[in-house]
Amino acid sequence: MNDQTKENPVETTAPAPQRSLSRGIELGGRHRPAVQAGPAEVCCEPIIRSEAFSLYYGPKAGVHAIDLEIYPCSVTAIIGPSGCGKSTFLRSINRMNDLVPNTRAEGVLAVNGTNVYDPRVNLVNLRQQVGMVFQKPNPFPKSIYDNVAFGPRLQGIRRRSALDEVVEQSLRDAALWEEVKDELRKNALALSGGQQQRLCIARALATRPRVLLMDEPCSALDPIATGRIEELIGRLQDTYTIVIVTHNMQQAARVSDRTAFFCMGELVEVGLTRDIFTKPQKKQTEDYITGRFG
Amino acid sequence: MRQLVRIVFNRAFTALAAASVLLMTVALVVILGPIFWRGSSAVIFRGTVEYRAMMLGEFHRGDTGALQAEMQAAHAARAPVYAILDEFRRGIDTGRIEDQINHAYRQLRPQLDNRVAAGRITEEQADALRSDARAVRNAIRAALETTDSAEALAHLDEALSHPARPALTDTVAAGLFSEAQRYRQIAQTVDLGRRDVYLAEFQEATAILRELLGPRPGDPVPLLAEMRYGATRWDRASILLDRLLYDSQWQAIEPGQPLVEARVRRAEVFEGTVMAELFPLMEQELPAMLRPERTFYWRYFIDPSTPGNLFGGVGKEMYGTILLTIVPMVVAFPIGLVCAAYLVECARESLFIRVIRTCINTLAGVPSIVFGLFGLAFFVMWLQPALGLPRDISILAGGLTLAVLVLPILIRASEEAIRSVPPTYKEASLALGAGGLRTFLAVTFPAALPGVLTGVILSMSRAAGETAVVLFTAAVAVRAGFPDGLLDQTLALPVSAYFFATADNLAQKAPHNQYGMVMALVGLVLVLNVAAILVRSRVSRKLRGQ
Repeated sequence: MNDQTKENPVETTAPAPQRSLSRGIELGGRHRPAVQAGPAEVCCEPIIRSEAFSLYYGPKAGVHAIDLEIYPCSVTAIIGPSGCGKSTFLRSINRMNDLVPNTRAEGVLAVNGTNVYDPRVNLVNLRQQVGMVFQKPNPFPKSIYDNVAFGPRLQGIRRRSALDEVVEQSLRDAALWEEVKDELRKNALALSGGQQQRLCIARALATRPRVLLMDEPCSALDPIATGRIEELIGRLQDTYTIVIVTHNMQQAARVSDRTAFFCMGELVEVGLTRDIFTKPQKKQTEDYITGRFG
Repeated sequence: MRQLVRIVFNRAFTALAAASVLLMTVALVVILGPIFWRGSSAVIFRGTVEYRAMMLGEFHRGDTGALQAEMQAAHAARAPVYAILDEFRRGIDTGRIEDQINHAYRQLRPQLDNRVAAGRITEEQADALRSDARAVRNAIRAALETTDSAEALAHLDEALSHPARPALTDTVAAGLFSEAQRYRQIAQTVDLGRRDVYLAEFQEATAILRELLGPRPGDPVPLLAEMRYGATRWDRASILLDRLLYDSQWQAIEPGQPLVEARVRRAEVFEGTVMAELFPLMEQELPAMLRPERTFYWRYFIDPSTPGNLFGGVGKEMYGTILLTIVPMVVAFPIGLVCAAYLVECARESLFIRVIRTCINTLAGVPSIVFGLFGLAFFVMWLQPALGLPRDISILAGGLTLAVLVLPILIRASEEAIRSVPPTYKEASLALGAGGLRTFLAVTFPAALPGVLTGVILSMSRAAGETAVVLFTAAVAVRAGFPDGLLDQTLALPVSAYFFATADNLAQKAPHNQYGMVMALVGLVLVLNVAAILVRSRVSRKLRGQ
């Protein structure tokens, strides 16, 4: 663990180019123009910081002693074999693991400097800052409009014009607007799988989160829909911090700036994607990405 | 070989499944078919002129002028019947002749006294006339009393050929001779030995005619509505006609053997008398007397019945049953839903929750009579007085008891429905920052609604058809009007169907009403179910995005 934490500062000094860091730390700032910062040197704080974070399902550890930093306005991919704790870690970030009875967290998992497992944390605020897209498209059995407006309405936005604006902007951000703008009242379940997943992304974006967690968002989609989602991720990374769990290593290589490799509930290696895929530091990582294991 | 066995098994399974579906369908048709077939006779039937008179008299429906014209025609057709009856009665009913002769004899004395006072006759003459008249009267009385025709004729001849007859003809005593003359004619034609038989048969026939044609014109209007009209339905009239034409008697065919019921033509009993003409007349002229017309009485379902339940519809019963279906749903639905939501969403698996679940499942199987007694003891005898309400059965008490009865059904159906909502919906809502309550109201509940509605359908049918509970807590057998409010007693279809079947011979007099009541109940449940199924399919279609 220790050598990994030592590695992190090295990586942060060499981020992927074209990362806009203009978002800063304030909440909900979504509509600012993406500043093309050039090959900027990352000098900001990580937005998500995990320090010796462990999550137990009863006596069994789902993830154990994870030290990981995730930087704003970047795409971080989490890869690893099944059951390695990728999803557990991802779902800890917005505390969706609370739904599982008898979970217990140790260590620190801070979003924006606040430990999310602090009992005083406001779950509603947390989840509105940290949106989530699930493995299977899961739109509500309501109209497209109501799906997207669900989050804003929770935030207390009642005014029709404001809602309309949020819905349109979110759908545009999710590259779905052109396809559904004439049938916003149509039931969301009538959309195709890929459209449904983009709708789920739009729904998550509508609460103006800072972080977007994606739990294998393309595993239930065909290659064309997958391509569109990946394209979308490429566009969204200018404004959002994206953490994506994926089984598909090509996908991780295509969309992410940094990649973390999990195995057996532990973080094995984290680094720039191109480094991980070209010169992994650990034997385990190399075995996994070359397909010899997992 | 194994392939063959598999094919055989597959075919057998398919055939068995198809057969069971067929069996269900047949059972449904066999059960519902007769109910609707016979029940429809309450709505579609051939109504007689008496029916129209009843509708005008009791419900103020129909055209008075048209009815009067029709009634006149009917009365014209009925007049010969009454004429025959009167004539036969004179022969058979000696009491009336006796009254007549006694009256004539008693009138004689003041008349003779007047004549003596006027000096037209002497007192001796008057006494002689009176003793002669007494002799004549006694002879006629003797003729009336005997059952032997020859003896009667001898007595009458003695009276008619009395030497004082010319002297008596200019007095009121002349009535004695005219009565004697009339009775002589009767005694010649009628077998006086059978007079008692005639009398009994005549009374029975008159009673049937009374039921068939209603009270005679000119008779006082009976107090009871059901006595005021004759046969209002042609099917009933046909049954009465059959009873008029044939008398069933218990006859001993062989000594020592049980009696055998035999149908005897009443016309044969009255053979040779004027009554014998009545029966062919009735057989031929009954349509003219009753003037049946095809009637479609759709108001059957909303009209109140008349006192005695013979006429009118099942409106009061329908109203009560609908109220007794709505009240429990209004009470039980929110409670059941919240309870189911708690059991699924909030409750941890603990011993307490397992006990609660077992209790709910057990309650669903408790016989309804137990709930009825509970409702009587708890809601009627205790809760209502405790709240300052009358300690009497009421729709409120019945509705609350029924709510308790359907609660387990509702909870179980809702629990299943809520449990079967895909957890991804809930996850999505929670991930957007919604709280538990918000998630339930906005996402889980709408998605579970079709299943919840299934529970509502089942509960509504159960509540509508419930008899034991309603019998104890809400329903009465007889009630004049519609209930005034929830604290009032009511009539209810299932309970009334029971009372109808058990109340003396009401079910025989108005079988259409018995079947109509059951049909109304089945129809009501069917309509409620179809409505709920439509709502459910609409909701689930919307959920599926079609």
